[in-house]
Amino acid sequence: MTATTTEADPTAVYPLYLDALADADEYGAVEVAVGLLEGGVPAERVLLDLVAPAQAEVGERWARNEWSVAQEHAATHISERVVAAVAGYANPRPTRGRIVVACMDGEWHALPARLVAEVLRLRGWQVVFLGASVPAAHLVSYLHRYDADAVALACALPVRLPHAHRMIEACRRSDVPVVVGGRGFGPDGRWARALGVPWAPDAPAAADLVADERALRAGPPARLDHLADDEYASLVKRRGELIDSALADLRARVPAVSGYTPAQLDSTISDLGYIVDFLAAALYVDDGTLFTEFTDWLVAILASRGVPPAAVALTLDHYGQRLHDFPRAAGFLATARGALDPAAPPQR
Amino acid sequence: MTAADVRESDPGDGRTATPGASRVPARPAASPLPPLAPEPGVVAPEWAEVVEHFREGLIVCDADGVVRHLSPVAQRLIPELVPGAVPAVAGVTALAALTADQPAEFPHHGRRLRVRQVPLSRARRCWYVEDVTESVSRADALLAERARSAFLAVVGEKLGNPLHPDRAAAAVVRLAVPTVADVAVLVLAPRAGRARWWRASRVDGEAPTVDAGSLPAAALPAAIGEGLGGVEPHALDWLVEQAVEAGWLPGLDAAALSARVVPLPGRDAPAGVLLVARGSARWYDDADVDLLRAFAARGGAALTTAVLYRDQAEVADTLQASLLPVEPAEAAGVQWGTAYRPAQAGLRIGGDFYGSHRLADGGSVFFLGDVSGKGVEAAVFTGQLRQCLQALHRVETQPGRLLRLLNGALLETTQAHGQGRFATMVLGVVRAHGDGSLSLTMAGGGHLPPLVLRASGEIEVVPLTGMLIGVVPDPRVGEVTVRLAPGETCLLYSDGVTEARGGPRGDEQFGSDRLLHALAGCHRMPAPALAERIEQVTCDWLGHGDHDDIAVLALRATGGPARPVRHLHAVPGPARAGTETEGTEA
Repeated sequence: MTATTTEADPTAVYPLYLDALADADEYGAVEVAVGLLEGGVPAERVLLDLVAPAQAEVGERWARNEWSVAQEHAATHISERVVAAVAGYANPRPTRGRIVVACMDGEWHALPARLVAEVLRLRGWQVVFLGASVPAAHLVSYLHRYDADAVALACALPVRLPHAHRMIEACRRSDVPVVVGGRGFGPDGRWARALGVPWAPDAPAAADLVADERALRAGPPARLDHLADDEYASLVKRRGELIDSALADLRARVPAVSGYTPAQLDSTISDLGYIVDFLAAALYVDDGTLFTEFTDWLVAILASRGVPPAAVALTLDHYGQRLHDFPRAAGFLATARGALDPAAPPQR
Repeated sequence: MTAADVRESDPGDGRTATPGASRVPARPAASPLPPLAPEPGVVAPEWAEVVEHFREGLIVCDADGVVRHLSPVAQRLIPELVPGAVPAVAGVTALAALTADQPAEFPHHGRRLRVRQVPLSRARRCWYVEDVTESVSRADALLAERARSAFLAVVGEKLGNPLHPDRAAAAVVRLAVPTVADVAVLVLAPRAGRARWWRASRVDGEAPTVDAGSLPAAALPAAIGEGLGGVEPHALDWLVEQAVEAGWLPGLDAAALSARVVPLPGRDAPAGVLLVARGSARWYDDADVDLLRAFAARGGAALTTAVLYRDQAEVADTLQASLLPVEPAEAAGVQWGTAYRPAQAGLRIGGDFYGSHRLADGGSVFFLGDVSGKGVEAAVFTGQLRQCLQALHRVETQPGRLLRLLNGALLETTQAHGQGRFATMVLGVVRAHGDGSLSLTMAGGGHLPPLVLRASGEIEVVPLTGMLIGVVPDPRVGEVTVRLAPGETCLLYSDGVTEARGGPRGDEQFGSDRLLHALAGCHRMPAPALAERIEQVTCDWLGHGDHDDIAVLALRATGGPARPVRHLHAVPGPARAGTETEGTEA
């Protein structure tokens, strides 16, 4: 018993739990979580103070290139099992209405949404978790079939905002109120406001919001008048052409590119595509900081993988030239380009 | 009467002002018109006589504000005034309050008058009085009509999408408030002796709140019952009292309410009845009742569509559920991982399939494949195929022979139905050994060869060949046995993965090289995470483009039954709600 009482604190066992994730030890991780529950820690605290921060750390380790994608996937899978075990242990009886929780189409980071789903379940809601990357058509046919008091949509990457907006509109056409969450809507939810949709910063806030139908249905209208300039739509149309020309430009200016393996070339192409996609998302919500935050992040990620920031700068310049007749896009590109530290020493 | 007669005479009634035809130039002239000049031989008119026929009445006051002159029209409109009267004293205060250059309107004797005041010489004033009753009421009617059209347009937009029946009902009452009611109650046609109702009400101009409940059909107010019978109740007496009695108008003063009931048309009988109530200051007039009926027609259509959709979806769901891949049955020493993404997102089924059956000797038959075609027809064929296997694995467990048996059965089915469908598949039997390793014997039916992720990180392509299943009577079927050490994984996937078209231009195939690259370093991953990773990299490659069905089945050797599977039971699911809490001995 003494061992249990000292361990009944999420922060105390946190290192142990991280080790289990690092070793892909599903049973070890579940034992740590169940140990807390048996020590009297409420299930919600286990989810929010143990599983959630550990998952954030997993993401950080991937970003620092300490963990491979495979390790990240394995750790995420184990976290999912832990969430399932915690939910099964608590096994709350539903006393309130039905909430559907889903990740945007193309959104594979399901764990944060899963945590929200379980917190709602622990608070008495009847929760249906539709999982990662839910196609809008599937969500809508689910709502037609089973109804819900609210839909909670998660979006971890701002690049999905245009799709998020379509999905939100689809839910609203079904007359079901929507609450959104996740880093994809900005740290303060500002892009949720641009889309005119209620936003919750965390799981407890989401739980409070879904309980208040009036707040769910209120909210200011979307501020998307800027879409009338057609820059977003034109950029999306020119995506393939822009990537091709950016790659040709890189080949011409960076000799090393011609020696890339097919896999390296693929990841370069997908990075070039990401830049266009994030620019498109920034145009969609008309906020250049979305794009600048992305390029800062991309430079950090690439730096940890040995790609110098100059490569990103080159591509931003290239897109800037190609998009000179897109005033908003050109402005965002110029700002992001200016934010790259030109004095940063080239890294190998 | 000819045109010439008109030219020479005054119309006399003041209603027409036909200009003399001769004064109109024959064609538009570029130069300005010449100043009007009396025609030769025409006498100057008597101005007082002409003024009498103006549509505007004239009242002329002297500097002291005493009426000195009235035209007959003014006298008819404001009979209080006579020459010598003072408007303020005569009780026409609105006139006295007028200031110059500020036209005003005021009601007078049930008519609406518009007056403007013009200063004349020697501090005299002239009021021009016009009767605008009709034009104002026409404008009001137009505005009201416009508001009604706008309301119905919003209603059409909100109810035009297919909705869940409960949503449709809630939307109907929510839309009714505040435009046609302060409280709106929708009662649906009773099912199984109970009638469900939805109510929207609003307090102090806030957004309406919606609640719902149900009543025994026998307890429904008489007017509602009549409405459900298809009759719009004409006797409106007691309607408010009936609604109060049903508990629908709490906290409202029944005496100060007016109410109406309209049926919502359904397919044959009404889908429901809408009861609306509002303060009796806004009594429901004919125009309001017309609007209510138009609203009810849209609400009824939405409810009917919703119910129709639900009934059809119920049938479709039941059929789909029988065609969905079944998750592999738990087997000792094997960790299964699956991923499934049908081509049509709205449909949850497709032409890819996987599954497993436990064998009496502790082993399992497993399979993954792809039938020709897409969509519902392909899914139905996978259903037939899985049923065949379900039966055949009981008589034959040797993979090659089982696959040939299946080929014969399918050939017979497709020939009987003239379908010409076929399948590619891998079918295997897995058996666990004492050391935690697994042996997999697999037979190939023209499908993509499985991959094996070795503990060393190496990825092997299993050399499995064979012919399509369901095409020729005696196909060539390849057979291979693979041994998996603990932690090693065998991976089966459909061509929806490698043939996914995407990339920067959306037309490049994903290909097996990219698949192998994506799997590099994944040999330590749990099987479910591995299957999900393949689904993810494939979908990322696709972007948001169309795709074929995608199916993945992974088998990982867990290292024997040494670890209890108890924690796996903790996965919550409706069927396992009663599972005892595990891990008490941990």
